Amino acid sequence: MKLYVPHVGHFEGLEELLNGSDNIYAVYMAGSPDYIGTGRTNLSAPKLDEIAEQTEYAHSKGVKMEVVLNSSCMGGQQLTPEGYRAIDWYFDKLNTIGIDSITVADPYIVEMLAKDYDMDVVVSVLSFVDTPQKAEFYEQLGATTIVVDPAVNRHFDKLEAIRDTVSCKLKLLVNEACLYQCPFRYAHFNFFSHANGPGPKPNVLDDYYYYKCLSLRIKDPQQIIKSPWIRPEDLKEYKHITDTFKIGGRTHFVNWILNNVEAYANERYDGNLMDLLDSIKDLKDTFYIPNSELDGAIEQWKKCDKVCHKCGYCKRLAEKAIYTYSGSGDDIRKIPLGPVGDRK
Amino acid sequence: MSMTQELLKARTSLENNLRELLGIPVFLIEMDAFALPCGCGGVTINTRGLQLDDLEIFEEHILKYLTDTVTSLEIEPSFLFARLIPGTAEVASINARILCSSCYMDFGRGSGKQPRPDIYIMRFDRRE
Repeated sequence: MKLYVPHVGHFEGLEELLNGSDNIYAVYMAGSPDYIGTGRTNLSAPKLDEIAEQTEYAHSKGVKMEVVLNSSCMGGQQLTPEGYRAIDWYFDKLNTIGIDSITVADPYIVEMLAKDYDMDVVVSVLSFVDTPQKAEFYEQLGATTIVVDPAVNRHFDKLEAIRDTVSCKLKLLVNEACLYQCPFRYAHFNFFSHANGPGPKPNVLDDYYYYKCLSLRIKDPQQIIKSPWIRPEDLKEYKHITDTFKIGGRTHFVNWILNNVEAYANERYDGNLMDLLDSIKDLKDTFYIPNSELDGAIEQWKKCDKVCHKCGYCKRLAEKAIYTYSGSGDDIRKIPLGPVGDRK
Repeated sequence: MSMTQELLKARTSLENNLRELLGIPVFLIEMDAFALPCGCGGVTINTRGLQLDDLEIFEEHILKYLTDTVTSLEIEPSFLFARLIPGTAEVASINARILCSSCYMDFGRGSGKQPRPDIYIMRFDRRE
């Protein structure tokens, strides 16, 4: 199994990460936001010399280095002469450094990378590849690897169809935990791309999409169960699709990342599932979901046709498996969720 | 009790009251005491899962809980308001603010519950 592991971007963090586990096949980190940017929040913006130093260190440990430049919106700048020149210059520098792979989201950048450079071209989840047809298009553009849209992590027929259609490698993101069929997905990543890319940066009041995303789960906690994460114990069900898995979480502390690495490497986690999930970390102190309570759920999801109002399995599972924390500090209690009150 | 212990206790108590009232696990993600250069001071409570509808329907109850909470922190409950994400029903925070004379004039000139798209006033004691 090959685990791609998030790295926050500074040398000390990388040292701690690579000294903390022997189960890391590759690390990935954001590059400089001055050229392409990225569709996620970042803790760092490493300069080229820092990327070079960290790449050398990763390689000395036998670990591959991937740079993520997966902006989902560049406002058309990539198609201007100045934009092209800046991006091409940056890719050339990364190539010289010896970066193993670059993750990008824009089809134009996919083709540009594949045509002119030797680095592996990884198609980001932010390209939303969720069908064999899309996968085929990206492979034709030059993709070496496609990170499949997690929205189809529990659509085994689609995963198998994608696997059978393309010969490039596939990678699955295991712990993103975004809402299933999230209505904010495109808008939110476009917002991130501008906030974490070349200027002008938007001076926003609040991240509306994130507030709403959390609110929807608080009002209807079954949404946490429906999110298409993959439990460590369920990796075995995906090994006929790929042997390559990506852990999300570029904005977390190294100990959080290492906890995830060990869980997925050992294919087992005894504890709160919320500890492993990336995008809803703020709810870690609200909900407690004993991971063991979810044993066997994958069997339902393998045959699930995703017509929730007829099925109700995830709702029943949420009522059984989700607890809410009450109190704080030493005086904290776990209260069973019980029947989910849908206030819609 | 220290100030931080008071805040911890107040956060938990208010969260429990809101959850019981609304029937959903509303999350008070952070409670901060603040002091501004202008002279305003108070407390702000960042919320997740609370919506404008909740405030409007249960305002009487929420106002009582909030008043009790801020009074327990020795903050005068003269100006209690929610900050909204403009144009949406999402409540970003609920706040108690002791207004300085300059900020009082700003708010005092306005009328109604929403003087700005991001402010929903639950209580505003006008001065003589």
